[in-house]
Amino acid sequence: MTVSKAFWRIVLKNIGTIVTYTVILVVFGSINMNSNSTTTQFEAKKPTVVIFNHDADGALAKSFVDYMEKHTEISDEYENDDKLKDALFYETVAVAVDIPENFSTDLAAGNNPEIHMQSSAGYVGELAKVSVRRYLMMAQSYASLDLNESELVAKVEKALSKDTIVEVKSKVDSSKFLRAATYFNFANYSILACVITIICLIMASFNRLPVRKRNLVSAVNIKRMNAVLLRNSCIYSGLMWLFYLVVGFVVVGFDNLWNTYGLLFAINSFVFCVCATCIAYLISKFVQKSGAINGIMNVVALGSSFLCGAFVPAEYLPAGVLTFAHVLPSYYFIDANNKIIYLENFDLASLWPVILNMLIMAAFCVGFVIIANIVSKKKQKIA
Amino acid sequence: MFWHNYKYAFRTLIKSKEMVFWTLAFPFILALLFYMAFARLHDYDTFEPLNVAVVNDESYRKDVAFSEAFKSLSEGDERVFNTQYVEKEKAEELLESGNIEGYVFVEENEAKVKIKENGTMTTVLVLAVEQISQSVDAVNDIAMDEIQRANGAVDIPAIYARVAAKISEAQPNIKDDSRVMNIVAVEFYTLIAMAIMQGAMVSSEMMNRCLPNISNRGKRVAIAPTRKSIVVLSSLLAGYTMLFAAVILLILFIRFVLGIELGDNLGLIMLHSAIGSLAATAMGMWLSVILKTNDAAKNVIILTITMVGCMFAGMFGGQKVFFDEMLPIVNKISPVGMITDGFYSLYYYDDLSRFTVNIVSLLVVAGIFFALSIRGLRRQRYDSI
Repeated sequence: MTVSKAFWRIVLKNIGTIVTYTVILVVFGSINMNSNSTTTQFEAKKPTVVIFNHDADGALAKSFVDYMEKHTEISDEYENDDKLKDALFYETVAVAVDIPENFSTDLAAGNNPEIHMQSSAGYVGELAKVSVRRYLMMAQSYASLDLNESELVAKVEKALSKDTIVEVKSKVDSSKFLRAATYFNFANYSILACVITIICLIMASFNRLPVRKRNLVSAVNIKRMNAVLLRNSCIYSGLMWLFYLVVGFVVVGFDNLWNTYGLLFAINSFVFCVCATCIAYLISKFVQKSGAINGIMNVVALGSSFLCGAFVPAEYLPAGVLTFAHVLPSYYFIDANNKIIYLENFDLASLWPVILNMLIMAAFCVGFVIIANIVSKKKQKIA
Repeated sequence: MFWHNYKYAFRTLIKSKEMVFWTLAFPFILALLFYMAFARLHDYDTFEPLNVAVVNDESYRKDVAFSEAFKSLSEGDERVFNTQYVEKEKAEELLESGNIEGYVFVEENEAKVKIKENGTMTTVLVLAVEQISQSVDAVNDIAMDEIQRANGAVDIPAIYARVAAKISEAQPNIKDDSRVMNIVAVEFYTLIAMAIMQGAMVSSEMMNRCLPNISNRGKRVAIAPTRKSIVVLSSLLAGYTMLFAAVILLILFIRFVLGIELGDNLGLIMLHSAIGSLAATAMGMWLSVILKTNDAAKNVIILTITMVGCMFAGMFGGQKVFFDEMLPIVNKISPVGMITDGFYSLYYYDDLSRFTVNIVSLLVVAGIFFALSIRGLRRQRYDSI
């Protein structure tokens, strides 16, 4: 009872750590969740575009703006200033187009007027540029015919109105599960940080030499004390898992998690919480100082999160990094989350890749406990 | 006495494993992790050909205009697609296994696309197919118009060929004023800003050693026959030296080992780092003076302030623009925001006005923290400690 009381007193003393990492999870998880979406209906990604139209009365300029409005999101929040430059750099605006005066009459006359354009780097910028170029190329092609401005507009609009028929193979709308996967992937960092910091701090408090000496001469059975510590560590990790699950229901949405996919995410995160507890148990055998615990926790949690795809999606990571990540349990946790969202059936064959990842995490747990016990025994002999 | 104390303060500082870890080792480890995690992110943004398939059946081969145009997008170094020409069953198999983004097939004289899921890559494929189809229709339309206008016998294939060539050669007169920059560089700017602001821990540590109500060494300093200002200033200077040296090493590592662009003006980068370090030193001094608690608690507070600042400044894939729109004041008053923005403006802007604003803001912040710290330190008397 005394040991348990001391355990939970230390947990409460460090509640600030738990709150900090939970806030980080909620803020970053929410931002990342909203940045991706996939659906079973094809929708072309609509980049944000800024248009400065200096030929407001021109029919072709108006038609061009209408065309861009159909294929992109036109924003009128920007002037041609630093705010726009920042937005282009940070890729929140894909393209800024400056339509010159007399654009329509010049284009209709076949003069090919100069248009100034600024674009962001990357795919979204390229997509927006494709729309701009496509309209201008079509207008230029038809400009060779002897047409007046309104006839030219009609021809260009008709030519550009043809859409491609797109079939989408997937029957599962993975977008809502993608949000859940993003949340749980990000939770990799928070779970590791909270579990490692608190458990290591508690173990370090009990392992500090004067405390250990007092415990050794006290009436408390040392094996029983260790068992109580281990039991409470497991309860703490279980509570953290439950807490992050509840936060997940709030952040991701109840409907998106209250289903079979949610159950799989929950089981996977539970296995990972157990694994994080074993990692903390192992670290506590090596490190005793609170300053060092903080440092090691940051290296382990941030390292695992960066290298395994918690912060940056795994598909963007270099192949070499992903190969190295196979030696970290976080890789299997994140990989399982990413596989869950694409499940269409829940038979054993479909679930096997997810189950395999969980089994590998379980194997890591066994390995960590064995190493911790070997280290512990060696330290006892030295003492 | 000043330099004597400076020397020993510096020596004790570099022997502190905790200080060395947070000011030197941790930023280096993070820089390496950032480099590994974000290395492909910008390469990914530069266009790589997409893996697609084409169902090479009778309908596809009959649509010569479309198939030739698609073939032209699949050839050469500047190609848009890595195209496999396969049977429909094989295309389905490739799509299912994720080896291709989608496949193209012609049905009822119309090009169609099948994809697994909606996404940026598939959008590129659909847009390309759409553009080809529209161009083919435009060729037909313009050629028909020319044929109708022509009187007498016309060479229809020649007209089609001429129109097709004209459309494929049409080049809008676009003047691209874009400055293509590496967005990933911002992650490293926030990292340098983090390393600088964590330096507040160093000055806090140095101040703790001078405060009688915090440490035993402080008690000894208080009763020593030396001017307290000399001990405080020399200790702070030792901390500043260590911090600035660590930041310079980090910048050199990021610029020359990892190869991240920081702008061309290395002198201004150093000046910015030096003033940022000054602001961090002042902040650490002030926090140490006003917080009557132990080292560990002060360090946690400094780390929290720094990491929250980094989050708002765009670290960990965070979206600075999103935070700037939500809470625009934060990055304006946060030293992390000022340091990050200073590096960004050096890299992205040609003129130095925005950089100068950041430098002046940091100097003001440093001045305010120093003034508040001195006010807190003056005429301190203790009845009992």
